[in-house]
Formats: sequence, C-alpha cells, structure tokens
Amino acid sequence: MTSIHKSYHVAKNDFIHAGEASIHVKNLLKSMNYNQDLVRRVAICGYEAEMNLVMHGGDGELSVDVNSERVILEVADRGPGILDIELAMQEGYSTAKEEYREMGFGAGMGLPNMKKNSDALKITSEPGQGTHVSMTFYNKG
Amino acid sequence: MQEEKDAPRHFFVHTEADLCLGCSLCVKRCPTRAIRVRDGKAAVKHSVCIGCGECIRICEQGAITASTSDLNSLSSDKISIALVSPVLYSQFPGILPRDILQGLKSMGFTHAVDMAYYFEMFQWATAEYVSRNRKTGESPWPLISPVCPVVIRLIVHRFPSLLPHVHPIMRPVALMARDVLSQFKHHYGIEGHDILLYYINPCPSKMGIPKKELGKGTHSTGALGINDIYAELSRQIKHLEKSDKIPFAQAGYEFEQCTSGGGILWSLSGGEAEATGLERILAVAGLYETITYLEKIEIGLFRDIEYIEFRACREGCIGGALNAIDKYLAKSAALKMSKVLGVGTRLNRERVLRLYDSNWFFPKVSPQDLKKIGGQQEKTFSFEEMRLIEEIVRIIDGKSCGACGSPDCRTFAEDLVKGEAAPEDCVYLELRGIQNTDLHEKLKSLKKRP
Ligand SMILES: Nc1ncnc2c1ncn2[C@@H]1O[C@H](COP(=O)(O)OP(=O)(O)OP(=O)(O)O)[C@@H](O)[C@H]1O
Ligand code: SF4
Ligand SMILES: [Mg+2]
Repeated sequence: MTSIHKSYHVAKNDFIHAGEASIHVKNLLKSMNYNQDLVRRVAICGYEAEMNLVMHGGDGELSVDVNSERVILEVADRGPGILDIELAMQEGYSTAKEEYREMGFGAGMGLPNMKKNSDALKITSEPGQGTHVSMTFYNKG
Repeated sequence: MQEEKDAPRHFFVHTEADLCLGCSLCVKRCPTRAIRVRDGKAAVKHSVCIGCGECIRICEQGAITASTSDLNSLSSDKISIALVSPVLYSQFPGILPRDILQGLKSMGFTHAVDMAYYFEMFQWATAEYVSRNRKTGESPWPLISPVCPVVIRLIVHRFPSLLPHVHPIMRPVALMARDVLSQFKHHYGIEGHDILLYYINPCPSKMGIPKKELGKGTHSTGALGINDIYAELSRQIKHLEKSDKIPFAQAGYEFEQCTSGGGILWSLSGGEAEATGLERILAVAGLYETITYLEKIEIGLFRDIEYIEFRACREGCIGGALNAIDKYLAKSAALKMSKVLGVGTRLNRERVLRLYDSNWFFPKVSPQDLKKIGGQQEKTFSFEEMRLIEEIVRIIDGKSCGACGSPDCRTFAEDLVKGEAAPEDCVYLELRGIQNTDLHEKLKSLKKRP
C-alpha cells in the first residue's frame, strides 16, 4: 500500500526551532483525523527524539511515513552515536551537560518515554557515525 | 457584501466590498484560514471565523469591521444594565472608575455594574479547584484559562484535543451576568425578559454571553464595543465634571460597588494569572504566541505548569481591537489607577467555599459542549484526499503567492480537493502543463457548482 512520506531537517543545538518538526507531523496526522491518542503518542515521541538530536546528536532529519494502518517515525542524525544503547535506555541515565540540566532536560526519561509511547522502537547507532531511531505506531481505530 | 450561504446567524466581522482591494493581506493573516479572495473581493467563511479581529487590524482599507450592535435598544421601558469590563476604565486616564460608571448611568443605563467582585470570586474558586485537582487529577495540567473567548474558539477549532485542559470554572463575566440577572429580577420583582444586559468590552468578536453558557432561567447578554460608546460616554463624563461631580449614589449591592486595583490589573496580560496566587503559572498574550503555546502543549510540553492565562490580544485585553485609545497609553493608565485604588481582597473565603461546594461556579456545559458554543472544528481529510493534496502541492511547486485567493499553496490544494476552488485559479498549475491530464479532469470534476 502506498503511503505519505514527509521529511524535515533538524539542526544540532538549535533550541529555538526544536520541536517544530514534531508539530508538523502532529498537524499532518490531525488533519487526517487520526485518533487523538495516536496523535498524542507520536507527538510525544517525536519531540523526545528531536530533543535528543538537538542536545546529544548532530544535524539530521525527522521523517514520517503514514498509511491508514500505521505511522513510522524516524529520526536520524550524524552525531557521535550512542556507545551503549542498553544503558542509554535505562530510566534516569543521562549524559546531558549541566547547562541543559538547568533548562530542565537531562532526567534520562526521553528514551524510556519513547519506548512506553510507541508500539515498536528500534535504535541503531554507529559510534562516530550517528544514531537512527525508528518508531512504529499502529492505528487501532 | 459577500457572505457564505450556510453561515451561522452570528457574524463576527463584515466585509465592505466597495472598499476591498482584494489584496489578500487578511487572507494570509487569518489564523483559521477563514478568508479567501473570490472575484477580487475578500469573502469570509463565517462558520470557521473565531472573531480574533486580526483581519480588522491588518486591513489598510478599513474594509473589514466588527459586527455592529446599536444602542437604540436602550429603551426606557426596560431595565438596561451595563456589565463593565475593567478595560473601560483604562480608556479614560485620570478618571476614577466610579465616575465612569456614573457616566454610563447618565447615558441611559439603569445600572452599571463593575466586574471586580466576580474576578475575586473566580480567583478564589480557581485556587480551590487547582488545589483539589492536585489530588484528584481530574483535569490534565496545564489548566487553560476560560476567560478569553477567542482562545476558547481557537481551541475548539484547531486544538480540540486540548479541551479537557480548559479550566472548568465559569468565566467571571458569565458568573456576573447570571448573578446580576437573578438579583435584579428579585429586586424589581420582574421577569428576566424585562431586563437587558449589555456587556461592554473590547473584544474584537464583540460577542455577548450566550444563554447556553449561563444555564436555566437566563437569557443571553448583548454586547457593545468600547468604541461604540466611547464618544457619548466621554461627553457624559465631561458633563459630570462640569457639574462638580454628582455625589456618587450609594450603591445598594456589593457588586455595584467600584472596582479594586486588582480588578483593573485583569485588563493587562498577567493580571489574571497573578491573582490566582499560584506559583506555577504562565501568562501568554497575542494570538500567534498563543498558537505557538497551544502547539507545544499538544506535543506534551508544559506539564509542570498548573495554569496558563491566554489572551488573544497583545498586552492583554487593553490590546482588544475595539478599544478607543492605544494599548500602551491604556496600560500606563491602568497601572496608575491600580496603584491609586490599591490591591486587596474583600470577599469572605468561607462564603466562596460554600458556593463552590454548591456547584455555583460550575457551568452546566462540559468542555465538550464548548464545541457547540465555540463553532466548527477544522476539516479533516481522508488518506486518499491527503495524497491528492500532497501531489497537487508537489506539482504546483509554488511560492504561496496568494494569486489564487487562498492563503498558501497547501490551502489552495485543500480547497481544490474540497471543491471550493478551480484548477485554473492557480497560475502555476497551468504553467506546469497539467491541462489534458487525468489529474486536471479529476480536479475539474471536484469543483462544486456555486
Ligand atoms: N541522538 C543521540 N545521540 C547521541 N546520544 C544520545 C542520543 N539520544 C540519546 N543519547 C544518549 O542517551 C542518553 C539517554 O537519553 P534520554 O533521552 O533517555 O535522556 P536525556 O536526553 O539525557 O534526558 P531527558 O530526555 O530526560 O531530557 C542521553 O543522555 C545520551 O547520552
Ligand atoms: S484578549 Fe481580552 S479583549 Fe482580546 S479577545 Fe481575549 S478577552 Fe477579548
Ligand atoms: Mg532525551
């Protein structure tokens, strides 16, 4: 089945525009009348992934692929990558810099939140090359 | 004048075809994409207009105006009561609120009632609701202030998923209208329909309070823009000054007494939030700032904030489109007057709590019912329609020039799919050579006959 595919550029350290790609994705799904809960989950995960790119990763893209059965959200960056993915997934684990903690980030809850709010989460990372996060959400109604 | 056929009875704005140049400034400005240029003139889809007044502000021709209401109905055989937004006081620098209320009476209102008392009621009830909500979790954080009607309509139209965030206490002017009506009915021993309420306010949407919002045994409240009455009221106030200020008749009811400094601060951005006495609060003013925040709440931000005061107008209600003087002059006047009058509370908290527990503060309408009062939700598209829209946008590959009469290329594509525009309205589509293609035939067939 064919799908609708859109992609947005996200820049490292750009706190001013961080979140805009997720807002676009959210609005696309809203205008297609996806159920509110799915839209909410996609938006939350998109925002967490976008913030991780901005804070820890490098320049990259957020893209979304939508058909009537599911939404696939992918965030890929060309940053330092994640050395130990299992460790990064643990609640409370964070390497966020002090200045980001002062802004209210760095609770180490982003990845666990993405896991909780998506139906499938897959992270691949090559240290020195970048990080690729892929999440799937099923449209249940 | 161009009006949509199936429009609701109440229009927030009117367009004057003779003055309109078809420049599409308003088309691009409208936050709900409710305006198109058709046959060279701006046409408003009233069913999706939220009455924010941005088009009124941006039109250089003065071709868009707020709906008019006439004062002729101040008839002598009915009791007419002015419900006064504190913004009115800021329009007369250096004049005491009580003289302004007296001026309204000289104009022919039987009574002029100040809102400060209801602000105080509202703020107590808000503090109470927030503290209970911390335990019950009944409403999601952040709560959104119910005060600005434009913001509520914006939420209904573009952010319906945020309706559960709307603070469920009745807004002060609704508390006021309901209470004043019942007290005066009792006082005069007459029926409700012999009492006319006029809400004097600066809102661009100049809307009264619908009966639905007030509940059983009430009727809706009319509305007057501050600029509707400004000239006449100024004259009356000058007259008062000349006659060496008629001593202010001792008001028999506490709600007819004059405002407090705190009440006056409600006309500025932040006044309401500050009055809640809560710590985790924000005050956001301006339509586009409001939209940005609502977008962010919708992606899950600000969960650590308990209450957000939103105002559609910049600087708060003193920035309302129907004010008579500039918002910065008004701000300065309001700040001075609030100092003169002093900020303090005068209500008995016990009494407010008793009313709270008797559900006095809760509207008979649920947030979901707001949908009915607030108007229409944004149109959504099926998957196939959305694919078509994406394809059209890709083919046009334009610069949102606006020559088609829609605000941008995407909205034009949506209009095509909805059958509200024709392919030949877009100069680019022709250039891209879609004539004689299947797509062209399909798009032509979608167009609804006018
Ligand atoms: N795109 C990325 N590139 C490099 N490292 C990342 C990336 N995303 C996550 N990480 C690493 O994984 C850790 C955990 O991420 P997570 O999102 O769970 O928490 P956080 O971002 O540190 O804090 P929070 O999300 O609560 O603000 C990060 O601190 C960082 O070390
Ligand atoms: S900000 Fe105030 S004046 Fe403007 S629309 Fe809202 S309530 Fe009315
Ligand atoms: Mg994170």
